[in-house]
Amino acid sequence: MFFPDNYEFYCPVKINSGNRALEHLPVELDALNARKPLIITDREIAKKGLIKKIAGAFKDSGITMGIFDGTPLVPDLKLVRRLMNNYRDTGCDSIIAVGGGAVVDMAKALNVVVSGRPEDLKEVAGEDLIKNPLRPFVFVPTASWTGFETSRFATLGELSFSSHFLMPDLVVIDPRMITSEKANTVVSTAMIALAHCAEAYTCPAKNPMTDTYAYAAMQFVTENLANVIKSGDKKGRLALANAATMAGIAFSNSPRGMVHELGWTAGDISGLPHGICMGILLPYILEYNINSEGHHMSDLLLPIVGPEVYAGTAENLKARRAINFIYDMQHDVHDITRGGIPLTLKDAGISKDALQCIAGATVGDGHTGFNLDDCMVILEHAWEGKPVKGGLQLPVHS
Amino acid sequence: MDDFKEITSGNKPFKRAYVAIMLWFVGRAIQAAARVDKNVKGEFKKLPEGFTFCLGVLPKGPYMIVGKNEKGRVKYLGWEPGGRRIDLDMKIKSIEAAILMFTFQESTAIATARDRMIVDGEVPHACAIVRVLDIGEVYLLPKFIARQAVKRYPAWSFGRKYIGRVRIYFRSILGY
Repeated sequence: MFFPDNYEFYCPVKINSGNRALEHLPVELDALNARKPLIITDREIAKKGLIKKIAGAFKDSGITMGIFDGTPLVPDLKLVRRLMNNYRDTGCDSIIAVGGGAVVDMAKALNVVVSGRPEDLKEVAGEDLIKNPLRPFVFVPTASWTGFETSRFATLGELSFSSHFLMPDLVVIDPRMITSEKANTVVSTAMIALAHCAEAYTCPAKNPMTDTYAYAAMQFVTENLANVIKSGDKKGRLALANAATMAGIAFSNSPRGMVHELGWTAGDISGLPHGICMGILLPYILEYNINSEGHHMSDLLLPIVGPEVYAGTAENLKARRAINFIYDMQHDVHDITRGGIPLTLKDAGISKDALQCIAGATVGDGHTGFNLDDCMVILEHAWEGKPVKGGLQLPVHS
Repeated sequence: MDDFKEITSGNKPFKRAYVAIMLWFVGRAIQAAARVDKNVKGEFKKLPEGFTFCLGVLPKGPYMIVGKNEKGRVKYLGWEPGGRRIDLDMKIKSIEAAILMFTFQESTAIATARDRMIVDGEVPHACAIVRVLDIGEVYLLPKFIARQAVKRYPAWSFGRKYIGRVRIYFRSILGY
């Protein structure tokens, strides 16, 4: 096992997962010194009756709560300020975000505002500029995530925030809330988790703690994804939700990798779900980095394929076999969804001209140390569906 | 804003009533078992004089309080903790968790393993009380239910199990 000379890891997130986990909310809020939560969600989730389930979990607690169910797809600063007034006028003292993506982004931004001054929001946009702990923040996932909910990141329009104080104090994963979703949504969520974990697990900055979270999350994804798409398997959905939670924590403690950056930009530019783009790019980028200095590609085989195959594979073949497994998994998902999940960027509807734009935007945003040529090589291979270094020659389960 | 509202949490009166009745009966059964069963007697003997424990449901009950007086007699002390000094406070985190336990879908050991309980007090005392609860459940419940509720169903003699069961039921109902 790889043991770094030195490392840092920070995780303030308490996870409460499983049958009747929602009913622990009153006790957990009490432990956080919170008496009156503001529940934030969107119309879709409210329509599914999930807010009633949350409210039901508070029965017998005597707690009064505020509910806002109008989060738009792209929340803005104006809405956050309006909500801040509601929060303060009604005496709320904590936030529960129910859902994923925009709901959580807005809840995190609101938490910054209600924990300080409204004008602080623009001042603290950026890397590690939030200096003080925020109000108690609970996240209850439903089915569609971006993978950032448990992380230290948040976005509100043009503003991006990064601080460990943005990580939720508590994540409550209850199977009643993880509703069955379209294959596209399930795959996108699972692929974000797998991509973040694969990068955290193989990057030079890996450490024993990120390894632990990433290992379990990758196992959950590879063991459950196909079943969840095929049959909506309830236990599998819960496992994927756990994987997404753990992936967010591993991701918060790792540098942002190429799969994340390129996949995110590709999603932004093409309008495709970010997870679908990351899923397509993942094996190509792993393959591109297979012999890169400091990367630990061969470690990937154990969590994603299991001990039998790992033990039966020669050391010099482990990395390639792991990558081939991911290619195979993509083909399986593609087949199960009858072609609904694309295998290449071309199938996904991204034009070849857009590749330059994706690479340029990724390199140009100043967050990455990648160069344009590397990005273009990967994008072109992923567009055509041609393995970067002639992969796919080794059968996985031989 | 139309999309903002405030709501007050409701109640679960039937579930609370069910758990309250179960706690009342289990409390009286522990008192009875402490006189009838040698193992329960032994567990209480090891506990300090004046020891009192409370098993209840967060956030506002119901509760069951059982204590051991200076003469070593175990007594069910009611459902109101009041101002009593509690040596061991075992709280089930929610009424739903209590329902899982008291409908025997989860044993005490499993409920503890699943973090459904908060224990404030000495761990050895808590372990002793969990063992007492397990024995109580074996007396009170038919085997097919008790098997779900306890860690391991014991192999007791006919006399211990059935005569003990009658005596404990009898004493629990009459409250002595």
